[in-house]
Amino acid sequence: MRISPSSLLSLLALLALAGLTGCANKKGQQYAGVDGDYVNGTPLAGNAAGDRVDGANFLGANVQRGQYAPVQFAYDSFSVAPDQDSKVSAVASALQGSGKTVIVAGFTDDRGTEEYNRSLGEKRALSVREALIAKGLKPANIQTVSFGKEMPVDSGEDESAWAKNRRAEFGIVK
Amino acid sequence: MMIHHTRFFLIFLLLISFIALPLQATDAPTITIRKSDALNVAFTGIGGSEGAAIAEIVQHDLKLAGWFALVQPGLASFSVSGVTAGGVLQGKVTKGGETMLSKSYTGSSRAVAHQFVDDIVQTLTGHKGIASSTIAFVSNRTGRKEICMADYDGANGRQITHDNGLSVSPSLSPNGRRLAYTGYQSGYADIYVIDLTTGSRVRLVKFPGTNSGPRFSPDGNSLACSISKDGNPELYVVGLGGGARRLTRTRGAESSPTWSPSGSEIIYSCDENGAPQLYRIGAGGGSGQRVTTGYGYCTEPSWSPDGQRLAFNVRSGGGFAVAVMDLGSGSARIVAQGENPVWGADSRHLIYSTGSTITLLDVPSGKSTPVVSGLGKVTEPTWSR
Repeated sequence: MRISPSSLLSLLALLALAGLTGCANKKGQQYAGVDGDYVNGTPLAGNAAGDRVDGANFLGANVQRGQYAPVQFAYDSFSVAPDQDSKVSAVASALQGSGKTVIVAGFTDDRGTEEYNRSLGEKRALSVREALIAKGLKPANIQTVSFGKEMPVDSGEDESAWAKNRRAEFGIVK
Repeated sequence: MMIHHTRFFLIFLLLISFIALPLQATDAPTITIRKSDALNVAFTGIGGSEGAAIAEIVQHDLKLAGWFALVQPGLASFSVSGVTAGGVLQGKVTKGGETMLSKSYTGSSRAVAHQFVDDIVQTLTGHKGIASSTIAFVSNRTGRKEICMADYDGANGRQITHDNGLSVSPSLSPNGRRLAYTGYQSGYADIYVIDLTTGSRVRLVKFPGTNSGPRFSPDGNSLACSISKDGNPELYVVGLGGGARRLTRTRGAESSPTWSPSGSEIIYSCDENGAPQLYRIGAGGGSGQRVTTGYGYCTEPSWSPDGQRLAFNVRSGGGFAVAVMDLGSGSARIVAQGENPVWGADSRHLIYSTGSTITLLDVPSGKSTPVVSGLGKVTEPTWSR
């Protein structure tokens, strides 16, 4: 079969259109369409050298923890489910315009392996961070940390305990 | 028509024979070492005043090495002996009347015994031994998670970090002189590197977000690790002298890299398609290619120093199992129940965590030996080469 230049052009145009609408649909999920590359999300803010600005320790005395309900996650998932949205909104509206920094700490249940759970916990913290940014908080005011399967809130070995442990907690820097 | 069919059938047969022949030919090499493949060695002891202590260690090392069957002198192909005088071990291996190895060693009883056995392994098998190697792992014995080290057989156990917090995911440099790990002293996960000779420590990777899971390159000059500063956990290579190079760009979370023997490639875990799977990428970057394992959940891979095999975690029932895959054929099998397998220098032994122990596994024979226990929960082992 021989493809005429005009039909090739219209095919390209169609593909381009499909690509454009694809981008538009996925914009909210931070997809980008350049060479299969992916824009991961909003980079975390550091100092001039790109390093972290130290001082706020999620587990330290200068961070207020437990003030806001943690966001829960499904098994092996890092997306913020619709029924968790109000928890993110509560933090976003409380901090809006305050200039305060929030640390989002990601945790997993204990069923995965150690290092994989650290990356999954970070992914959860970053998902919540994107949700906070979407609700108007400044990216520079949201830091993340992952503790993986450390520090479970419930040490039980059943679905109810695991569900509680799959979470992202909020710590407000005083 | 009939003629055509026959012709096709003949061509088909011809094709089959072409396909089948090479398969049979490549079927021959096998990694299984049967008992009869072990070298028969007679160990006739170590003479001299310190001889008994050294002999005990040599005997233990020879047993753990996996290559040898210790037999009576009359049945042996090789004879191992030694004599100590003035703090020097003179070690000797003979075959009939021929001397295969004769060398003197100085140092502690354990050090000279280990070096002697590594030389025996090298001389008789051509492989690097594991006797002089060291391991590191995480222990929660103190109630916190700290990094501990020991000799490969579990002797000389010592606590390395005293951070009184969370110190996890250790990696020993191949020569065993440096230790990298993930530490939470700042409240966030950073990557620290300890010079074990001087005891000095630097916080090498401290980007915003989580910096975790360092793994030394074969030359010991860089670390592959997971860094999330871009808004997603991605695989990076960081030089010990500074400089960070990003390798991956995906929606998933990259973690637990392992280097190819030459340092040109990295295999890692990523969950961009759901459950975590293994991928392979050039150490300079590019796009990760899926490594097909046949298992649905694969994490924390370890590439054997001979480049031929990959060990990794798979989910098995309620817990985890250690799988070993032959990278050439792609065939994989479960070799133990446990987590976080790491290859030793001989590409024959693995160490892994059972939770309460760090266990040494001789993969060809399936013989396992717990080497670390009684230190609380012991996890995430790493092994010098």
